[in-house]
Amino acid sequence: MVLVCSIPLAAQVPLFRPRSAPELGGARMTVLLQDSRGWIWCGTEKGLFRFDGLSFQTIGLVDTFAKASVTALFESQGHIWAGFSNGAIGRVPISGNFPSALTGNIAEEKKHKPYLELWQIEEGLPTQKITAFAEDNTGGCWFGTYGEGLYVWKGHRLFQFNMSDDGLASNDIYALASDAQGRIWAATDAGISLCTMSEMGKKAVKNLGVQDGLPDEIITSIQADKLGNIWVGTHEKGIVRFESSSLRPTFSTTKWTFGEVSAIAVFGTRELWAGTVRDGLVRVDLSSGIAQALPDTHPLRHAKSQALFKDREGLLWAILDKGLLYSANVRFGLWDTEFSNVQALLTDRQNRFWVGSQTGLFLQHTAQAGGADQTKFKRVLPQNVISLWESPSGEVWAGTFGNGVFVLDQQGRMLRHYTEQNGLANGSVLSIGGDQHKVWLATLGGVTALSTAGAPQVQTELGTSYVYKVFNDSRGRTWFGTDGKGLAMQENGVLRFFREANGTALKTIYSITEDKQGRIWFSTDREGLFRFDGVEFKRFTTENGLHSQQITGLAVDGNGLLVIGYEDGFDLLNPERVNHLMFCDANIGAPSSGVNLNAVCSDKQGNVWLGTKDGILRSAAFDEKFVDDPQPGITAVSVLLQSVDFLSTTTFSHSDNYFIFNIAGIWFTNPESVSYRYKLEGFDPDWKVSKDHLASYPSLPPGRYTFRVQTSEHGNFDHVPEASWAFTIQKPFWKQWWFVLLCLFAGGGLISAFVRSREARLRQEAQLKRERVESQFETLKSQINPHFLFNSFNTLITIIEENPRVAVEYVEHLSDYYRNILVYRERNFIGLQEELELVNSFSFLLQKRYEQGFKLEIRLQGKTGQVMPLALQMLVENAVKHNVISATRPLTVEIFSENDGYITVRNNIQPKIKPEPSTHFGLQSLISRYQLLGEKPVLVEDDGAYFTVKVPINL
Amino acid sequence: MGAFHPSPPGGPYRCENGKVVFKSEATLEIIQARSNKLRGAIDPSNNTFAWSVETSSFNGFNSPLQREHFNENYLESSKYPRVSFTGKIIEKIDFKTDGKYTVRAKGKLFVHGVEQERIIRSELEVAGNKLRVRSQFTIPLSDHNINIPHIVHQKIAEEVSLTVEAELLEREN
Repeated sequence: MVLVCSIPLAAQVPLFRPRSAPELGGARMTVLLQDSRGWIWCGTEKGLFRFDGLSFQTIGLVDTFAKASVTALFESQGHIWAGFSNGAIGRVPISGNFPSALTGNIAEEKKHKPYLELWQIEEGLPTQKITAFAEDNTGGCWFGTYGEGLYVWKGHRLFQFNMSDDGLASNDIYALASDAQGRIWAATDAGISLCTMSEMGKKAVKNLGVQDGLPDEIITSIQADKLGNIWVGTHEKGIVRFESSSLRPTFSTTKWTFGEVSAIAVFGTRELWAGTVRDGLVRVDLSSGIAQALPDTHPLRHAKSQALFKDREGLLWAILDKGLLYSANVRFGLWDTEFSNVQALLTDRQNRFWVGSQTGLFLQHTAQAGGADQTKFKRVLPQNVISLWESPSGEVWAGTFGNGVFVLDQQGRMLRHYTEQNGLANGSVLSIGGDQHKVWLATLGGVTALSTAGAPQVQTELGTSYVYKVFNDSRGRTWFGTDGKGLAMQENGVLRFFREANGTALKTIYSITEDKQGRIWFSTDREGLFRFDGVEFKRFTTENGLHSQQITGLAVDGNGLLVIGYEDGFDLLNPERVNHLMFCDANIGAPSSGVNLNAVCSDKQGNVWLGTKDGILRSAAFDEKFVDDPQPGITAVSVLLQSVDFLSTTTFSHSDNYFIFNIAGIWFTNPESVSYRYKLEGFDPDWKVSKDHLASYPSLPPGRYTFRVQTSEHGNFDHVPEASWAFTIQKPFWKQWWFVLLCLFAGGGLISAFVRSREARLRQEAQLKRERVESQFETLKSQINPHFLFNSFNTLITIIEENPRVAVEYVEHLSDYYRNILVYRERNFIGLQEELELVNSFSFLLQKRYEQGFKLEIRLQGKTGQVMPLALQMLVENAVKHNVISATRPLTVEIFSENDGYITVRNNIQPKIKPEPSTHFGLQSLISRYQLLGEKPVLVEDDGAYFTVKVPINL
Repeated sequence: MGAFHPSPPGGPYRCENGKVVFKSEATLEIIQARSNKLRGAIDPSNNTFAWSVETSSFNGFNSPLQREHFNENYLESSKYPRVSFTGKIIEKIDFKTDGKYTVRAKGKLFVHGVEQERIIRSELEVAGNKLRVRSQFTIPLSDHNINIPHIVHQKIAEEVSLTVEAELLEREN
């Protein structure tokens, strides 16, 4: 039975598509790697290329690599590492500017072409071919050579493992793998060496050989999977799987006849593909261990396989024959059968296929031919079979066009036959369903129910219309898809019709199925797909991404995906993410010529099989998660047609405002189908949908932007992945906030300084005016104070009789003195000579009064300049006022200049016993008036003997 | 009737009981049905014509069930009760001269609510005040939005043929 199960798997063949690479200039490909961002790196005999699904981009090489071919590729620490046949190792960053060839600016592209940089280390690099890389769980980077053993780069030192010093099984390493325990598995000609290097620098090697369960000493390929297994390909004895913790073999291929295994790609726990040197690609069923090469007639049957890997989308990539690249979506494969136009399909309890076609009903069986098992079909009915069903008891029911229904046993022998004569509503049976007690036949004349006990009974309530589908769900309900009467459902003997769903009239229902959550999905002839969760309906149309609204079949696969058949292909829909669909036709490697009405079935492993005109198509449900959307990426950014390092630069000046974005959507499944939707947040109001790989923005104003790009393979952009890049264009400095603020501050400062200085000036002027007025007032007051006048008149009285002539002179001086005071008081400054005249007049009056007691000495010959009016007079007056004056103690006032810009007024100090009452206004007023006019300060000095005041003189 | 009008090209020709035969030749089944209720008119004055038949008037299916399907599911007779063809005859015909003519009738074929422009070749025979018309043409079901699952095409052909035979009488206006 196990044997039988595996055969359909091996029989259906995926579509291998060559990926032409004209950019390689005929160089043969040698190694492949998909990086963590999704790009595929191809090592060739003449350099390294990066493939995005549409074109190969050349990676520049330094001379060291020029004559060598790439022999190993690895991704680590953000770089792609390439090992060469001459032992050289180079690296190139995986991200950064990779402008596509579409910018048209060739010089620019050359300048910014990514380069493979030589890895230079103190220890030097090997001289033998680098065969493989691996990384352990402490960050140690390992590389194997053919001839020099194994190296590890750890802690910035290079260490070597070889046969003689370290016990390595052989110095010729074919392949490397790392396990979860941190060991490196090295495949050699003499078994496997498990190597570790502790943090302390201690090396450890353990060798596995035939005695440990290896089928063959020569290990040609090795690979780790995500479940903790190490897959080992041998030179002659096939493939064995080791459980890495116990180091025990847990699987091996049976009857391996295909020679050396060069590479392995594992798909979940179900399937494995091996590349062989002699027999091309070999598929291994992991449940049985049976390996099968491509059919003998297949053009790639003996294509030598050099490299093999599974990408993130689940595609198998292979370098075959003369270094040519092929890819295949191994999920899909056509089983090319001897009969055409498959109308009904069934996998029975033994996982055998029953196939209904116009030429009869065929049952799959296994035949021995030339020592190998071969899948054959035997015809068990000659009728035109259009529907199949297996009853719970194992009977196979086959509905025909016009000939009623046949009931067969598991060997294909006919047990019973029901026709219209037996009471069938119609002889054409389009669909069959049922349970232990009842069988329902959907015919071109309504529904007939057959109980195991009684005779056929026509369900009159369902009318005489065509009934396309009968479906029994997991809750014991029976659903009918009618032509014209909509959807009907029978539960506990009660029939209920659904003629309308959310406003859409339900008339013709072609297919019905149930998803893993127990929701019913059904399709109509042209209204699209509906989902019924028991309460409400939801409709899906081409607007939701459906390929077409004319659906010919529905099924749910083992991963819960809904398979929607059309006349020209099928969609895979995730019912939990209903907007995500993947349309499958020959373009993505699903060679479907259209799914016949309800010719779908699923097998025990959850694979869905579709009956088409050309044969049977498998849509496999691998128990492994694959990427199911194109992955968007920004590959390059140019500003003013110059590439920029957009990963580190995100701020641009205001003049850097012409942006071009190179965008890519990695979708190797069908690169041509990818469409982009992009939006520059901060500029574009809406998304732009495009197939172009460039988005350009010629003159962006300053601001903050985020460039967002989404990719879709079917034009519906709901719930699709996104890539984005945020950047800022700065305002010119005169629009920067700091500049504006600075200007505001500076302007404000200027204005306030102006205002303040003006205020100060006004204040100063006002004060000056007040001071002057006060000074004038004080002066006048002092001059007309009764004391002065009384003294003056007393003096006058004494001389008026003795010497009337002098008295007249005295009065003249007195009047001159007062007149001068009146004349000069309004002026800020007066000439020194004018002031001295005033002082002389004043002195004359004093002289007459004090006679010998007062002496004034003026020594200012030829001195010119200006002083404040009454300044010197006031000082003389002060001297007279505050000192004792008598003939015995004369007061001498000197006025002179020391040519230092001052007029000095000095008198000897003879303080009065009873000081004259004083406001001290005179001197103080003089000092402050000079200060207010911004002149040099008035200097006052009192040394006990002399009182000296120095008044500045203006020239 | 009103006053006598001289009418040089002759009055319009009419008929009420023309024959239409519908035939679907599928792999598994031949379906044939006919109607004797084709109504039509040809106006020699401007070469125009109009034909119409009620879809429910077809008879002669293999079974009553088939007739029901024909009416209910495919032609949706309740919604689109008539099939019609109206237009103009391209060739100029001398309706005064007896004889057989092959003409091309260009017009709009209205089936199942979908209109298609068609040119249909017809045999026309003028015999006195009678006009005999005979024509055969095919209708692809998909042209008229009639959906049938691919597999059922074994029972119903994707193209059905129609044969029309009618005798029209000249009427005074």
